Amino acid sequence: MSHTELDPRLAPPFPQAALPVLRNPQLRKNVAHATDVIQGKRAMLVAEKSDWQELRSAAAAIRAHALENLGTYLTQFEERCTAAGGTVHWAADAAEARRIILDILRAEGASEVIKIKTMTSAEIQLNPALEANGIHAYETDLAELILQLGKDEPSHIVAPALHVNRSQVREIFARSMGRSDLTDDPQALTAAARSYLRQKFLSVPTAISGANFLIAETGSVAVVESEGNGRMCLTLPRTMITLAGIEKVLPRFTDLEVVLQVLARSATGERMNPYTSLWTGVTPGDGPQRFHIVLLDNGRSDILAKKVERQTLRCIRCAACQNTCPVYRQTGGHAYGSVYGGPIGAILTPQLMRMEHAQSLPFASSLCGACYEVCPVKINIPEVLIELRTQVVDREREQPVRVFDAMYVGMRAASGIFAAARRFRSAQRLGRIALLPFTGKDGWIRSLPGLGARWTATRDLRGMPGQSFREWWAERKDNQQQ
Amino acid sequence: MTPADSRSLILDRISHATQRPGGNTYEHLPRAYTHKGALEPGDCVHLLIERLREYDAVVDTCTVAELPACIAKILQANSKHILVVPPGLDPAWLAAGYDWKIDQDLSHAAIEACDGVVTTAFAAIADSGTIVLHHSAAEGRRALSLLPDWHLCILRASQVVETLPEYFARCTQPPRLATYISGPSATADIEMTRIKGVHGPRFLHVLLVRD
Repeated sequence: MSHTELDPRLAPPFPQAALPVLRNPQLRKNVAHATDVIQGKRAMLVAEKSDWQELRSAAAAIRAHALENLGTYLTQFEERCTAAGGTVHWAADAAEARRIILDILRAEGASEVIKIKTMTSAEIQLNPALEANGIHAYETDLAELILQLGKDEPSHIVAPALHVNRSQVREIFARSMGRSDLTDDPQALTAAARSYLRQKFLSVPTAISGANFLIAETGSVAVVESEGNGRMCLTLPRTMITLAGIEKVLPRFTDLEVVLQVLARSATGERMNPYTSLWTGVTPGDGPQRFHIVLLDNGRSDILAKKVERQTLRCIRCAACQNTCPVYRQTGGHAYGSVYGGPIGAILTPQLMRMEHAQSLPFASSLCGACYEVCPVKINIPEVLIELRTQVVDREREQPVRVFDAMYVGMRAASGIFAAARRFRSAQRLGRIALLPFTGKDGWIRSLPGLGARWTATRDLRGMPGQSFREWWAERKDNQQQ
Repeated sequence: MTPADSRSLILDRISHATQRPGGNTYEHLPRAYTHKGALEPGDCVHLLIERLREYDAVVDTCTVAELPACIAKILQANSKHILVVPPGLDPAWLAAGYDWKIDQDLSHAAIEACDGVVTTAFAAIADSGTIVLHHSAAEGRRALSLLPDWHLCILRASQVVETLPEYFARCTQPPRLATYISGPSATADIEMTRIKGVHGPRFLHVLLVRD
C-alpha cells in the first residue's frame, strides 16, 4: 500500500481516488471481510436488545439537546474541569490546536509522547507537526501502530487498519521491529506489539488522547477502548493532554447509560467494549498530576449554525455507517481523502472544509439510506448529503465558466420543458424519435453520444417506451367510449 | 491570537449558531428505554457469570465465611505468590504464606513486578458482563488493576445489577474516577480476529461472594 496523505485539501476527487482501490482485489477483500464480520456481530447484538429503538431515540435526543445548548454545557464543563485541577484550552482551528499542544510539550521538555487512538489528532495532522518539532509520537493502539510503522493512513473510524491483512502486518512488524522470527498468527503479532510498547508505557511521561465524551455536570472525560493501551496512557504518565471536538459534550454523567449502550454495539458488535475510563481533572495519588484539555472548533460551530447540517455533530464515531455503506464497502476509506471516510465522512469532511474542498464526497453515495438506519444517534445522512449536493451544485452553477457548460444548458432547457405539459409532451415525442437509432432490439440503450455518454459510460439506459402513460390512458378511455 | 480570544470567539460563534430557541429541555428528553431488568437476583448473578465466562474470565463463587480460604485456594491453583493489594482491602483476606505488597505509593515497576492484584469492585452489570471500579481504597488506584497480568476481583452478589441504567441509579454521586471492565484486554484489529490480552491484564478472575 503506497503512502496516501489524507488531506482533504490535496485529495483528488472521489471517483478518481476510488479507481486504484477498485483495481486492488486484496484491499477490497480485506475491507469486505472486516465490514462483514463487524456487521454480523452488530446485527446479532442489536436484535437481542428489545429497547434498541428507544435507546436510539434517547441517544439522538440527548446529543441534539447537548448541541442546542452547547455554549452552556461547554462552559459548565470548563468550570468543573478547572475546579478539579484540569487546564482547559480553546482552539479555533487546527493550527491553533497544534500550537497549544506543542507549547505544552515544550514546557514539559518532552521529546516523546505516547498516544491513544484519536481521529481528531489525525484531523488536525498533529503527528507531522510533532515530528517537525523533534517530538516523536508513539501510536499505542494496535491498528494505529500498524499504520504508523507501515507509513499508511487510517481507513476506518473504529478499526483504522482494517484494509491491512495479517501477512501485511507481519511484513510491517518484521521490518520495523527487526523481528524476522514473527509468524502471521494474529496472537503472535499482538504479542509483538505488546512487548514493543510495554517499555514506552512505563517510561514516556507525556500522553495524548482524544475523548469520546465530555461530561458537563462533572467536568469528567470518558475514553472508550479495547486493548488497555488507553488505560496505560491515561494512568501512567505525568502529564495528560486530551484533544476533543467541542461537540463531544454530554449534559450529565447519567447520559452515559444511553450512549455507552449504543456505542459498543454499533461500533464493534460487543455488549460493552472491554475498557471504559472516566476521569475528572487530576486526582492526587492516582494518574497524571497535570491534565490539559484542548477544545477544538475547527469548523464545528459553522456546522452548528446550519439547520439541516447540525445533526452531523451528533455523531459518536461508531462507524456503523461505514460498515453498512455499499460505496465504502467497495472503496474502503482512503478514497475519501480524509480521516473521516464513509457516509459520515461524506457529510462531515466537506463541512469541516467549509465546502471549499472535498466537494465530490456528498456525491459518493447511492442515497440508499442504510447509514441512517444503523445510526445510533439517528443522523439522517441522506438528508444532509442532498443538502450538501444542492450547495455544491448551486455554487458551481454560479461560476461564469459554467454558463455554457452542456449540462447546465441542458438542465436549464429541461426546467423550461418540465414547466409546461404541452412542451413536455412534444419533448417526449421528439425524444422517442431521437433515441430510436441508439436503442437495441431488447429495448436498452448501451451507448449515447455527447452529454448522454456520461450516463452510458457506466450504466445502460432503458429506451423510451412506445407510448407514455398519459397516451395509453387517453387511448384506453377512447376505446371504452367506442 | 491569544487563547483567551479564541475562547470568546468560539463561544460567540456557538451562541450565534444556537440563538434560535427550540428543542426539549433536559427533563423532557425521551427515555423510554429499559431502566430496570426483569430477572430475579439469583438469575441476574447467573447471567453475569455466563457473560464473564464468554469473555474467557474465570469465575468462582463462595460464601462470606469461605472467602479468605477461597482466595488462598485460587492463588495456589494459579501459582500466584507476589500479590499487590490496595490499602483498603480487608486484612483478613490476606492469607499467610503469600508475599502481599500493600500499595503505599508503590512505583509502577514494583506493581508491574507482581504476579497479580486483588481488588474489590463498586458494582457489576450482568447484561454486559461489566465490572465497575470507582477506585476507592479497597478497589485501588488505577495503575493497580492495570499493570499486573492477573486480576482477581472480589465481588459481592448484592453488588450485581442487571442493566447499565441500574448501575447509574446506584451512583448517588458521580465518581471522580471510574473504569468499566468488560472482559480482559482484547483487540480485533488484525482481520477482526479477537485476541485476548494486549496491554491490560490478560487474565481476569472473578470471585463472587454470596452475601
